Amino acid sequence: MICYQCGCTLSEHNFCTNCGADVALYKRIIYISNRFYNDGLERASVRDLTGAITSLRQSLKFDKNNVEARNLLGLVYFETGEVVAALSEWVISKNLRPKKNIADDYIDMIQTNQNRLDTINQTIKKYNQALTYCNQDSLDLAVIQLKKVLSLNPKFIRAHQLLALLYINSEEWERAKRELSKCLEIDTNNTATLRYLKEVDEMLMPEEGVKTTTKKQKKSEEIVKYQSGNETIIQPVNMKEGKGVTSLLNLGIGLAIGIAIAFFLILPARIQSAKANIDEELRKVSEQSDAKTATIDELQQQLNELTEANSNLEQDLSAYMGTDGTLRSVDSLMKAADTYLTNPEEVTVVADYLEEIEADAAESESDNSEAFESLYNTLLALVGPGIAESYYNDGYEAYRQENYEDAIPNLEKAFQYDATNGEALYNLANAYYRVGDMEKARETYLQIIQLFPGTEKASKSETFLEEMENEIQD
Amino acid sequence: MINFEEELKKFHPSLEVEDAEEAIYNQDLTDMADLMVKIVKDAKKVEEE
Repeated sequence: MICYQCGCTLSEHNFCTNCGADVALYKRIIYISNRFYNDGLERASVRDLTGAITSLRQSLKFDKNNVEARNLLGLVYFETGEVVAALSEWVISKNLRPKKNIADDYIDMIQTNQNRLDTINQTIKKYNQALTYCNQDSLDLAVIQLKKVLSLNPKFIRAHQLLALLYINSEEWERAKRELSKCLEIDTNNTATLRYLKEVDEMLMPEEGVKTTTKKQKKSEEIVKYQSGNETIIQPVNMKEGKGVTSLLNLGIGLAIGIAIAFFLILPARIQSAKANIDEELRKVSEQSDAKTATIDELQQQLNELTEANSNLEQDLSAYMGTDGTLRSVDSLMKAADTYLTNPEEVTVVADYLEEIEADAAESESDNSEAFESLYNTLLALVGPGIAESYYNDGYEAYRQENYEDAIPNLEKAFQYDATNGEALYNLANAYYRVGDMEKARETYLQIIQLFPGTEKASKSETFLEEMENEIQD
Repeated sequence: MINFEEELKKFHPSLEVEDAEEAIYNQDLTDMADLMVKIVKDAKKVEEE
């Protein structure tokens, strides 16, 4: 015990040996507090929790620093299901004595287990909800809610009492008594519990009295007593009849009820379970399908990209092909130049190379360099007349032999390489005329008249043209 | 005979865990020892005056 003034430890004297303060009254107060604590402890040990709460509160009213009383009060509150009140007491106790305090263990016990704490909170919320239902006159809902509360916290006395009160209100005396008995198992001297129990017992006792008397009467009716000399003979009036048919009937009814239960209760549950499984499977399949669809989309996108890349590559390839064609033209030109320089007589070979260049130029339609064009034109100017003469000789020989099919291309080439060769053009026109290609023949005659006016070939061409027109008119 | 409505009024909502802190702060912790100390101090003041 310490002095209230200076905090010094007190001796057996009625004054503080340190500061001299009068502590007689103070000591008395502390003694009373301890006395109430002892009383509370005794009551708690015989499960008179209500009495213990009262004594311990008194103890704390005298000395708020009585940590033992406060801890015990918290423990008693916890036992009655009042967890928050218990926590409050333990927290205050811990603040009063931070070290070597058992309240620390109690708080840890609750706070370290989060699930337990959640359950406690749920219990309290449900109890409050039940109380709200009661006030709203939804007593059935309140009963359901309280049953849930008690399944979570079977020591919650107030919930038991409220449930018992609801049962009393609905005149379900047996149930009320059961709840009140549970209350008494936890707290033996709770005033409210005892009051409710008295009411319930009063309502139950008359019925039991009636039941017992009627049973006795029935028993007395079922037997016949009479004196035979000194002996009392007891004879049953109604002998028990055989119950075979009844048993079979009951068995049949039971069987029918069992089948009905299986059909109406078990079967729907099984169907529900199967449906749930199917739904689950369907969900999984759906998820897989979605994943595959996403993969397909991705692959399709990749395919499109690859197709586009392929297209670009093909374009590049065609571009390279063009380059290759150009190179081939250059190669042909080089060969033509080489052939002409090494053997100028081989005009036909040179002509072949030049024709290849022309064909490539027509295919690739690409522009050649100025040097290329210059060399090509120079070469053409050098070998052109020779080539033209060669083609003309071959063409004219074929024409003379009336082999117009061979004559036409040779004569065309001859005029191509030597535009001054009017004879080649005239013979070409005649060859067209001979093979019946009147259109080409007409064009070629007109070309002769235009290119070589005043010559004999021009006048002959005019004559042919007139003949052709006459033939058409005829 | 128990009156249901009257009995129901005796039941109050239970404190939830969230309200514990407030309940602790609001608890009146004045005890007899505090009162005694106050009375003694007041008496001393009166004597001094």
